[in-house]
Amino acid sequence: MNRFSKLGQYGIFLAFALICLALALSTPKFFTVSNLLIIGNQVSINALLAFGVTFVIITGGIDLSLGSMVAVTGVAAASFAHPDTYPLVVPLLVGLAAGSAMGAFNGLVITKSKVPPFIVTLGTMTIGRGLALILSKGRPVSNLSDAFNFIGGGNIAGIPFPIIILLIAFAVCSIVLNKTILGRYMYAVGGNEPAARASGIRVSRVKMWVYTICGLLSALGGILLTSRITTGQPNAGAGFELDAIAAAIIGGTSTSGGTGTMTGTLIGALLIGVISNSLDLLNVTSYYQQVVMGVIIIGAVVLDGVGKKD
Amino acid sequence: MKRNAIFATLVAAAFLWGCNNQSSDNESGSEGGKKLVIGATMLSMQNEFIVNVSDAMEAKAKEMGVELITVDAERSALKQVEQVESFIGQGVDAIIMNPCEVEASSPAVKLAMDAKIPIINVNSETSAKPTAFVGSDDTESARIAMKYIAEKLGGKGNVLMMHGFMGQAAQIRRDNGAKEILKANPGLRLLAEQTGEWDRAKGMSLTENWIQSYGDKINAIFAQNDEMGMGAVKALEAAGLKGKVLVVSVDAIPDALQAVKKGTLDATVFQNAKEQGGKAIETAVKAAKKEAFEKEVLIPFQLVTKENAGNF
Repeated sequence: MNRFSKLGQYGIFLAFALICLALALSTPKFFTVSNLLIIGNQVSINALLAFGVTFVIITGGIDLSLGSMVAVTGVAAASFAHPDTYPLVVPLLVGLAAGSAMGAFNGLVITKSKVPPFIVTLGTMTIGRGLALILSKGRPVSNLSDAFNFIGGGNIAGIPFPIIILLIAFAVCSIVLNKTILGRYMYAVGGNEPAARASGIRVSRVKMWVYTICGLLSALGGILLTSRITTGQPNAGAGFELDAIAAAIIGGTSTSGGTGTMTGTLIGALLIGVISNSLDLLNVTSYYQQVVMGVIIIGAVVLDGVGKKD
Repeated sequence: MKRNAIFATLVAAAFLWGCNNQSSDNESGSEGGKKLVIGATMLSMQNEFIVNVSDAMEAKAKEMGVELITVDAERSALKQVEQVESFIGQGVDAIIMNPCEVEASSPAVKLAMDAKIPIINVNSETSAKPTAFVGSDDTESARIAMKYIAEKLGGKGNVLMMHGFMGQAAQIRRDNGAKEILKANPGLRLLAEQTGEWDRAKGMSLTENWIQSYGDKINAIFAQNDEMGMGAVKALEAAGLKGKVLVVSVDAIPDALQAVKKGTLDATVFQNAKEQGGKAIETAVKAAKKEAFEKEVLIPFQLVTKENAGNF
C-alpha cells in the first residue's frame, strides 16, 4: 500500500512538471523569478488550509468549515489590529485561538454526537459565516497597523513573508504527520477505525487533535488573507474549503482515509495556483478559465490513477 | 446519554433566548398600533453597500414614524419571492425590494402588484415594472470613471479592466459604460480584461499576474468596484508601479475614500447609499398613503478625487 501511494505521488509530480513545462514554453513570462514568487505568495493561503484538511481527510473525516473559519479568524484578528491599540501578538493570538476553538468545537461535536463530519462541518460552516457577520456587523474591518499588514504583504530578503510562513508550516505539518505518534495514529484511524480502537488508540482524542489543528491552520490562513488585503472581511474565504480539499485530493490524499502526504498536498496547491496564474498571463477569458481548471484537475487525478496502477 | 440531554437542553435554551431577543426588538417598533408597515427585502446583508442602504432606510423609517421590517434574501431570488409573498400575507402597506436578479425577482413584483400593494425597487432593476424605482444608473458610473481615465491619460494609453461577477446586471452595465467611452477614445487600448469577482484578494492576484504580463505597458486600471480597485493598488504598490499607473474604481466605500485622500487610489465614483435608502422609504410612504410620487428617482453618481474626497 505504501509503495502504491508513493507511485501515485510520482504521478502528480509528473503531471505538475508537464504542466509547468507546457506553460514555460507557451509564455516567457511564466518561468521568471518574480512570477514564481508571486505564485508562491498566491498559493500560500490555500496551501495552509489544504495542510489542515489533509490531516482531517487522512483520518477519514472532512472539514467544510475552513472558509468560514478564515472569515471569523480574519475579522477577529483585524478587530485587535488597529494601529496604536494592542501589540502585534494580541491580534495573532486572538485569531489563532478563535480558529483552534472552532476546530475543537468541530472535533467535540463529531466525536460526542457521532454525526458525520460532513454534516457537522456543514453546520459550523454556516455558524462561522454568521459569527463573522456578527463580529464585524456586516462591514469590513479596516485600518490595520503596518506591523499586522507586514505578515501578508512584507518581504524578507526579497522573499514574500507568506512564502516563509508556508515553508515553516509545511515543515511542521510534515514532521507531525511522519515523525510523531499522533501522525501514525492518524493513518491508523483513517485506515481502519475499529482496528485502531481495538489496538488501544484513543480515536476520539486523535480526531479532536486533527480538527483543532485544521482550525489553527485555517486561522493562520485567515490572518494571512486579512493582512494581505489589509481588511478583515466577513465574506472572505467563501469557497476556500473546496480549493483546499481539491489540493489535498489532487495531491493523492484519498477521501476514504488512511492515505495522503503533505508533499502531495503542497504540489496539489501549487498546481491549482500555477494554473490560475498562467491563465491570467495568457489572458484566457474567465469563462474558459473555469473549464480549463476543471479539466486539468480531473486530468491530474487521472494521471495520478495511471501512476498507481503501474 | 445524560450528557447529550444536557447538550440538547442548552441548545434549545440558546435558541429560545435568541428568539426572545428578536421578538422584543419587534415589539418596540410597533407600539403605535396604526403605524404604516413597510416590508423590505435586501439582496444581501453581507454586502457593505447594501448594508449602508438598509441602514439609511432604517433611519428614514424612524424619522418618518413608520415600521420597517427588513429581511435578507441572501442573494437567492427564490427566497426573495417567498419573502415578498409573506409580506403580502402579513398585509404590509408597502414593499421595498432590492432585487437579487433582473428576471428571477420579477415574479415578486407581479405578486405585489396583483395584491395592490405598492412595490418599490431600490438600487437595481427587475424586468417587471414596479410601482416605482429608486436607484442609480450603473452604466453612468463606468462612463464617469473611464472618462476620468481618458482625461488623465490625454486620450492615449493602455487600459486594463477588471470585471465583477460575469453576467450580473452591475457588471454588464459597467462593462457597457466603459466600452462606450473606450470606443469614443480610439487612442485608449484595452490591453486585457478579466474578472476579479468583486473581490479584493482576487483583484490583487489578477493585478500581480497582469504586472508579470504587461509590466511597464500598463497606464491605467479600471476596476468595476472599489474592493478590486484596492487590491490592484496593493499589487501595484508592492511592484513599485503605483506612481505610474492610474487606478479608478466605483462605489466609494470608506476604505476607498481613505485611499483617495491618501492618493493611493486615484479616483472612485460615489454611489449614494444614504440617498437611495432614504428616497426608497419616502417613495414607499407616499405610495402607501396614495399621495403623488415620482415613478423613477435617479440618484446621480459623483466622481471622487483627492480634491473633493473630504466632502464624502
